[in-house]
Amino acid sequence: MPHSDFIQLMKEKAETVQAIVSKINHMEQAFRYTIDLTQKQGGKTVAATGLKPSESRLLKKACEASELELLEFPLRSHTHEIHTSLTPVDWGIAETGTLVIDSSSEDVRIATMLAETHIAVLPASKIKPDSESLEKELNAVLMADTPSYYAFITGASRTADIERVLAIGVHGPQELHILIVEEDSE
Amino acid sequence: MIKTAQDMKSYKKQLKEALSDQFLRTALDNFYTAYRENRSAVYDGIDFESIKKEIATEKDGALPYLEDLYEEFKVHAETAGAKVHIARNAQQANEIITAIAKENNVKKIVKSKSMTAEETFLNDHLEKEGFTVTETDLGEWIIQLRKEGPSHMVLPAIHLSRHQVGDLFADVTGKKQNSEDIDKLVKVARQELRPTYLAADMGISGANFAIAESGSLGLVTNEGNMRLVTTMPRVHVALVGYDKLIPNLKTMLRILKVLPRNATGQAITSYVTWIKGAVECGASPSNRKVMHVVFLDNGRLALAKDPVFSPALRCIRCGACANVCPVYSKVGGHKYGHVYIGAIGLILTLFYHGIENDRVIVQNCINCQACREVCPVDIDLPHLIKKTYRAVLDQDGKTPAKNFILSRVMKNRRLFHFILRQAHLAQKPLARKGPMIRHLPNFFEKRHGFRSLPVIAETPFRDQWKHLRKHLVRPKYTVALFAGCAVDFIYPEHARALVTLLERHRVQVEFPKDQTCCGLPASMAAEEATARDLALQNIRAVQPEKYDYILTLCASCASHLKHNGFKIFKKDSDWLEKLKEFSDKIIDFSSFMVNVLDVSSEGIKATHKKVAYHAPCHLCRGLQVTTEPRKLIQLAGYTYIRSKDEDVCCGFGGSYSIDFPEISAEILKKKLDNVEDTPAELLVTDCPGCVLQLRGGMNKRGGKIQVKHIAELLAETKQ
Repeated sequence: MPHSDFIQLMKEKAETVQAIVSKINHMEQAFRYTIDLTQKQGGKTVAATGLKPSESRLLKKACEASELELLEFPLRSHTHEIHTSLTPVDWGIAETGTLVIDSSSEDVRIATMLAETHIAVLPASKIKPDSESLEKELNAVLMADTPSYYAFITGASRTADIERVLAIGVHGPQELHILIVEEDSE
Repeated sequence: MIKTAQDMKSYKKQLKEALSDQFLRTALDNFYTAYRENRSAVYDGIDFESIKKEIATEKDGALPYLEDLYEEFKVHAETAGAKVHIARNAQQANEIITAIAKENNVKKIVKSKSMTAEETFLNDHLEKEGFTVTETDLGEWIIQLRKEGPSHMVLPAIHLSRHQVGDLFADVTGKKQNSEDIDKLVKVARQELRPTYLAADMGISGANFAIAESGSLGLVTNEGNMRLVTTMPRVHVALVGYDKLIPNLKTMLRILKVLPRNATGQAITSYVTWIKGAVECGASPSNRKVMHVVFLDNGRLALAKDPVFSPALRCIRCGACANVCPVYSKVGGHKYGHVYIGAIGLILTLFYHGIENDRVIVQNCINCQACREVCPVDIDLPHLIKKTYRAVLDQDGKTPAKNFILSRVMKNRRLFHFILRQAHLAQKPLARKGPMIRHLPNFFEKRHGFRSLPVIAETPFRDQWKHLRKHLVRPKYTVALFAGCAVDFIYPEHARALVTLLERHRVQVEFPKDQTCCGLPASMAAEEATARDLALQNIRAVQPEKYDYILTLCASCASHLKHNGFKIFKKDSDWLEKLKEFSDKIIDFSSFMVNVLDVSSEGIKATHKKVAYHAPCHLCRGLQVTTEPRKLIQLAGYTYIRSKDEDVCCGFGGSYSIDFPEISAEILKKKLDNVEDTPAELLVTDCPGCVLQLRGGMNKRGGKIQVKHIAELLAETKQ
């Protein structure tokens, strides 16, 4: 299977679990997407992890221009007020539309757990066909002597605990947006 | 609190209540059908049979080394800052967790779902010690508020309606709730529980996996509450059964292929999380989580060494054995287990919660094999349930009257057959010349009256045989007919139909006269010694070396004779070779016609009558024969009409339908409703037990659809 097929599979599988998937070419588009979506949903705040200092400054400026607040770290002091989170993704798993995120940093955990809307940025080159093909990478993290918190995220949080009716958005984010970055098309 | 029946009388009362709970009945019926449909879709492209065998091998391989895996886990987890404990029993686990809470000045605790914590009744213990404990999984929160136990391992509140949840949430919030809007009810939980995570000092979780080589826990969830429980509070305690220890990540990834698919029909859950050691935590003064892992033994290490029961420890708690169980689908989890429910619950309860909680419920298995087929770790659940029942009888040192009589009578073929012949005379006045007894005499309880009963034949097949036997010159095959008691004594016409039919195909039929009961009823009553004795009698009587095949008209006999002998003979028995020859030659009617005789529709006058089919449990699952009977119906010139849930049990289950007539009647009703929903004029099956149940039920309800054994159908075709 050529890699472009995995990108397509990733998109399809993520969409079957109610993730909203778009393709972008660079980070600035992700910022625009984040701000537009937050405004559309009536949110006031954005939490972003994993950005370079220059990107962070850029996002802060853009947020301010749109009357949104880019929340400062540590996010634990903002647990009541995170509307949108924007986080990078380490890997994608096409077979199931899964995002793989090293969440050992508490800020990453809080951003991906407490936000109403989670926007995840996934480089197309990081999409693997299945979980087995990530075994080595994942095991390298787990086998290190340091503590770790590692996550597979597939779609928004969900339950079927009342009459087996599927409801999206229980305790975790109510929406999951995936932005696939296709660098080679730049 | 969980109130599991401790005697049959109160159990019967509980069952009656469950059967009259209309919401529960509809919810479970819908779930039963939907689960099976979703599951087959989500396994598309996955080789379930191979994966389950691989997982079973890996899990079994780890069982003798659980204590080594524990040590390995401990070293790695502690290097990363966790503290790892052993709890020998439930009390110790609860005490260790209480001590951790006290040590850390904990007041408020949030919990994510853990069956292991349900097993130890951890919440009760912590609340008695003065802690506030809040369950955060939606279903668990609901049942905690209602002070109930879970009725399903994956869907703990499946027994409740949206209205019951709406009323409960109205009480909790002090605001009226719109119960029709399930999305809004879910949001109530989101809003109510959010502050609880943030205010909690300690989070308690379970784990699906404890990976020894890295000292990390693996957790498989959907709602996101477990992630908050393990992130927000400064202390995290994971309570994990020893059976969750696996050697490496590879094993976990393999199990992850089947766990969500089997549990909820998902390719993967929303969240799969690995936690290792004391991760960063801003709520803790040290900025590191206070992390503890408590491994619970509670009988697991002994179970791991048990030559019979150790496979029960393979269980990965997917809950599927309940989802496909026709009995569960009628009575629900509160009546089908103690803490652990479903087929695996009937087994584990004896080991984790004592004989008093298992003595009665363990008897409620209809042996339809649906759980064995769906189990993703290849546990022979029906077999272990019978073994569990045997262990209960042995521990109690009692032999129920039924077992005593059954063993005594069955072992002596002449006595057994004498009694069957006498039964014909006793029944005669009741039948009033017809083939059925529609109204049972008064000494039977009313609940047995859900089906008409057939009359024992005046002349059993064995007495008709000397007049029927024909000697064929140069036959194509020589087969022994293993009639089984039902065909021999109730439906000799099925066997006559077979003999006529096979003569047309130039097959020499013999009827070894000393054959007796196949032994399945003895196995079902956990009378293994009797079953073994009967197996020997049959091998001696039939002399398998003389025949090309041993043909049966009864799927239950066939499946028992083919597979169960190997489970009841000792591994070094002198009879194994003979048993194998016997077992290898067993064949069911449809397979013989289609695969051996290769019958065709040539020369057959097609009637195109519409025929529905009921797949007997012991044919479609026991012998895995599924295409042949359907093909045969069509070859015989009939139009095969598919009905809903064709491969679901008819509710017979031999003596099950006498022990639990209320449940048998409900399963039968659903089956007949499904058949009557089709335009079929005939209902065909290939097991005399199913014929008895289906024909009796159809007769009782005055239905128009005729029920026939497939051999009768074939014999009626016109050339």
